[in-house]
Amino acid sequence: MRISGTATLAAPVERVFAALNDPAVLVRTIPGCERLEEVGQGRYRMTVNAGVASIKGSYDGEVALTDQQPPSAFMLRATGAGAPGTVTADVAVRLVGEGAGTRLDYDADAVVGGMIGGVGQRMLTGVAKRTAGEFFRAVDAVLLAGPNGAGDLPGVAPDRAGDLPGIAPAPAPAGAPRVFSAPQPSVSDGQQRWMMLAGFGAGAFWAITGVVVGFRLARRRGR
Amino acid sequence: MSTAMFGAPVRRHEDARLLTGAGRYLDDLGHRALAAAFVRSPHAHARVSDIDVTAAAEVDGVVAIFTYEDLTGRMAEPLPLLIPHPALHAPRTAYPLARGEVNHVGEPVVMVVARDRYLAEDAAARVVVSYDPLPAVVGLPAARSARHAVHPDVPDNVAAHLVQAVGEVDTAIAAAPHVLELDLEIERSASTPLEGKGVYARWNSDEGSLRVYTSTQASTSVRAAVAAKLGLPLVKVDCIAPDVGGGFGVKIVHPWPEEVLVAWAAQRLAALAPEGIKWTEDRWEHFVSSAHERGQLQHVRVGFDSDGRLLGLDVTIWHDNGAYTPYGIIVPIITSTQLLGPYKPGAYRCEFFSLYTNTVIVTPYRGAGRPQGVFAMERTMDAIADHLGLDRAEVRAVNFIAAEEMPYDQGLIFQDGRPLIYDSGDFAATLDKLKALVGWSDFQAYREQARAAGRRVGIGLACYVEGTGVGPYEGGHVQVETSGKVMVATGLTSQGQGHQTVLAQIVADELGVDFDDVEVTTGDTRRFGYAVGTFASRAAVMSGNAVALAARKVRQKALRIAGEALEADPSDLEIVSGVVRVKGAPASAIPLSTVAVLSNPLRYAFDEAAKAATQFAVGDTSKPPVAEDDEPGLEARDFYSPTQSTFANGMHAVIVETDPDTAEVRVLRYCVVHDCGPLINPMIVEGQVHGGVAQGVAGALYERMVYDDAGQLLNASFMDFLMPYASEIPTVEIDHLETPSPLNPLGIKGAGEAGVIPGSAVIASAIEDAEGFVIRRMPISPSELFELRASYAAGRVPGLRRTSGERTDPRTRPGHSPDNDSPDNDSPDKET
Repeated sequence: MRISGTATLAAPVERVFAALNDPAVLVRTIPGCERLEEVGQGRYRMTVNAGVASIKGSYDGEVALTDQQPPSAFMLRATGAGAPGTVTADVAVRLVGEGAGTRLDYDADAVVGGMIGGVGQRMLTGVAKRTAGEFFRAVDAVLLAGPNGAGDLPGVAPDRAGDLPGIAPAPAPAGAPRVFSAPQPSVSDGQQRWMMLAGFGAGAFWAITGVVVGFRLARRRGR
Repeated sequence: MSTAMFGAPVRRHEDARLLTGAGRYLDDLGHRALAAAFVRSPHAHARVSDIDVTAAAEVDGVVAIFTYEDLTGRMAEPLPLLIPHPALHAPRTAYPLARGEVNHVGEPVVMVVARDRYLAEDAAARVVVSYDPLPAVVGLPAARSARHAVHPDVPDNVAAHLVQAVGEVDTAIAAAPHVLELDLEIERSASTPLEGKGVYARWNSDEGSLRVYTSTQASTSVRAAVAAKLGLPLVKVDCIAPDVGGGFGVKIVHPWPEEVLVAWAAQRLAALAPEGIKWTEDRWEHFVSSAHERGQLQHVRVGFDSDGRLLGLDVTIWHDNGAYTPYGIIVPIITSTQLLGPYKPGAYRCEFFSLYTNTVIVTPYRGAGRPQGVFAMERTMDAIADHLGLDRAEVRAVNFIAAEEMPYDQGLIFQDGRPLIYDSGDFAATLDKLKALVGWSDFQAYREQARAAGRRVGIGLACYVEGTGVGPYEGGHVQVETSGKVMVATGLTSQGQGHQTVLAQIVADELGVDFDDVEVTTGDTRRFGYAVGTFASRAAVMSGNAVALAARKVRQKALRIAGEALEADPSDLEIVSGVVRVKGAPASAIPLSTVAVLSNPLRYAFDEAAKAATQFAVGDTSKPPVAEDDEPGLEARDFYSPTQSTFANGMHAVIVETDPDTAEVRVLRYCVVHDCGPLINPMIVEGQVHGGVAQGVAGALYERMVYDDAGQLLNASFMDFLMPYASEIPTVEIDHLETPSPLNPLGIKGAGEAGVIPGSAVIASAIEDAEGFVIRRMPISPSELFELRASYAAGRVPGLRRTSGERTDPRTRPGHSPDNDSPDNDSPDKET
């Protein structure tokens, strides 16, 4: 499944690039992302809590940011597995300065497997296309909020906001991997957030997961 | 035969029960049983590197979790190859649970048993299986290219390769005045019964016996397969098909992994599961882990004369058999033999390759390879007619086998390993009936009328011959109880076809009892242990004749006993409405119930009937009460075993309208003429035809299995798989021809699959006629037709001669020059 799209961000291209490669930004903007653990250069183990309404599930995956060509391009490769299925997504991201802002093109090639693959595919592309813009606007919002503006972001606790746009990692002993945690978003925020993630290709998996879990539950109720 | 139930449109015995919710389907049983759920592969092709069940085992209510490593004895072996064939040189079957490798999405990897299904599913969700994905082989082009292999030891992905030939096809085609070639494609669909699979097994620790209920088309064979896998004596295993909510072929496959696993677990966990273990398939599971059918690529090369008479027919088929071949190569064998339909092909050669792909297995779905074969042949017939500027019906008629040529030997070997010999049929008469029914000759006027109104309509037709009632045998047991009730049992199963009704009709007539006094049981090994199964439109032919033969035996015995009681010659007796009486002297009579009493000399008078039995002294007191060659009871069993299949046939015609803007296809009329010999119950036969036509229309216009390149089935739900509603299915107009089969006592031929067989062929024929360009690929959606119109306009799709005005009837053309000049001459519009 291919998902392509374009977003326009107000921030200049260097800052957008930096933000999208900053785990502290990602952990807060990737919807449902609870935890990012750096396992190598540009590689993170990720736990994402995804769901619809009160139905949530925890999924584990890995994200690798490779082929870095600052500030114009990078590759994001995500793999993940949860109960209802699996996803592998290769997302090519290209950034071009456009005036004072940035034009971002992404091209995701995702294989969504298992039950999600069979039941949720049809909705995925549409949802992803529609919400992609929202995701990048959120990233843009982080950037526009400036170094001290993190407190304005919903769900970001000011006392944990350090030298933004990145959020400081939790203190870790020297040599231990850096671990980034996100505060829990409010309930009403949650759905919005992971829908946004869907726009980023890799996030498609989590979006469908939630949808499918919803279907399964509905079906069981019908029994 | 005074009751004359045979041939009467009797309402179905089973409907009152089924329509009022009193049916007992698999999931209606075993409410206190433990539940099984399966962890299935999300990958089309992968190695299983690790299975971690730790978190799953912690779920409260989980009883057991099994992986391949837990399987013991014959359970650890691959599932059986049910139908080996010499041409199936690389057969592969799955293990009950994946052994280190998965070959399609949906393949079972782990089985979880828990207190209920909710807990079992919760635990299954917590099993972590680690996979190393391998390249997936999806679709016939990928399988043929063999860039990647499904099974590493089958590098070319070819499971089977078979060539059958009659005559010298290359010579015949080389000498033919005209040659055409066609490349055809038909996509996957599936049986999709409303009730998926399901199995419920209970081990009886006291008796050391197992009872298995399963939603199957072959309970006796499931019984044998489970007994073999578990190492149990056959007599310690009962297998029962309860009410089954549709099968359409998919449930003839056995044993499914779940059938042996649930039975095995029921025995193994007997102490923890005194009420047994049950698994009911959900819809997603059915889509990705049962079976599909139809997907083929075909290449046809045909040589013919100027009347459209076939001189040589050379067909190559690439058949997608999915990841494994448990049911052998039945489907492509049927395609390659039944392709011939009612025609004499001249020289014929058919070669097929059955190829592995990383998709769910392919096994017979109603029609079982015939829809593809008919598609190939009927597309060819239409192409010939258009090429020559002849009427499509005329070209078919010129190729028909004549009624007086029956039995006709096509010179091939059919799916049952026996010669393909048509036993009966009058194809010319069938075509005449069809033309009259649809108004074939009046269609041009209708087309002009429609055209004037801005509407686009087309007519098509398609013919088929269907081998039905395939052997080796079925049996029947008929017993008259002392109440006068007649209990009938046959081993094959019922999936809603109405067997309880038609078998009762047959027995009522044979025995001379009231239809309502006959009660039929199917698919219960406790009642009848020998059977083959319900497939190949064989139930009425096989079990119908078997119960008829058994009923005749019972009748004979009843007449003998009644003759002794009435002091009459048995040949002077008749049985009417359950009473044996002397012909012409109806006062001299004895009810069958009393004859049943007399048939069983008893010592103990436990009820009124028995009291009567203990008082009667039949026959000579110097002889034993039960003669040496006799046995007690008014009952008998018999078997019917034919030398070969009996061949039904039919022809469909359809009128479609295609929307000039949206390319939506609407079926305006759907006409069927069908010959399955004498009709036991016209209402049921027509119902079978209706259902078949519905699936034929579905396969032509709506249903397909959409796999992506990674082997994910993208439309694995009824949200995206377009099974049509009644609103999409046209009214079906039916006429019958009844040419009896000489092969069986009742003269009947099968009717179960007929309706579906020519669906794609006849609708393609009509769309082509409406649009004026060739249709080579089915099913077809409005979007695809829309695109085809654009391609036609751009010259990329050949048009029909008859609509482009190049009407050239070579018979009237001076010089009669052969136009066999181009090997890829399937584009009539290229030639002038």
